[in-house]
Amino acid sequence: MTTATTSRIEYLPRSRRRLLVAIALVGYPVAVAVLVAIKHTSLNRWLILAAYLLVLLPTLVTLAVSYRYARGRIDGRRARLDERDLSLRQQAYALSHRVLAAILVVATAVTEIYLTNGNTLRFDANTFWPVTMWVILYIPALPSLMLAWIETDQPADA
Amino acid sequence: MPDPQRRVHNRLAVLRAERGLSRKQLADKLGINYQTIGYIERGDYNPSLELALTIAELFRLPIEAIFSLKPMTPLSEEIFREP
Repeated sequence: MTTATTSRIEYLPRSRRRLLVAIALVGYPVAVAVLVAIKHTSLNRWLILAAYLLVLLPTLVTLAVSYRYARGRIDGRRARLDERDLSLRQQAYALSHRVLAAILVVATAVTEIYLTNGNTLRFDANTFWPVTMWVILYIPALPSLMLAWIETDQPADA
Repeated sequence: MPDPQRRVHNRLAVLRAERGLSRKQLADKLGINYQTIGYIERGDYNPSLELALTIAELFRLPIEAIFSLKPMTPLSEEIFREP
């Protein structure tokens, strides 16, 4: 990534960062829903894959931008984290935990309601891989996303 | 119990300008990131007691001359106030 792009990412206003975080969080479930909807149609397999990747692309881009925004602070790679950075990191991890807990509670409740209504849940590769992908994509990225969400706009240089 | 969200007012920007220091220069003297100075000046971040005392020591001023729970009045007004 060029220095100019990196600098633009670091100075993204909070409203734009929050939009990116929202796209990152919603993007993957939407991509999976699109895939499930078109998987059993007569569309060509490659076309289905292309459509899936096209829907998934904004998620991957926004995840990368959010990671770039928080990199160094969230993973502690920056040589010197001052007290504000440390406090922000702590808040980001705490919020990540709350968001993750909320998602797990909602997912468990929805599954429970689905099963209670007499439906069955087949636990095979087709069910498991979207969950695996979700875990791989989101669990490591959540703290960066939350840091990008909570940090206020940077003061103008003076 | 003090409210951690309560804004701490400060005169950091005035004192920094008075001494001709940029945020980067002041941050380097304090050993913090320069953005943190901006956040403190804007009232978006309340410094720890340790950092506030270090700032007071650096400017050679009592801490209450730099930080306050009440909005700060202009320094000139305080200096020339009728007794």
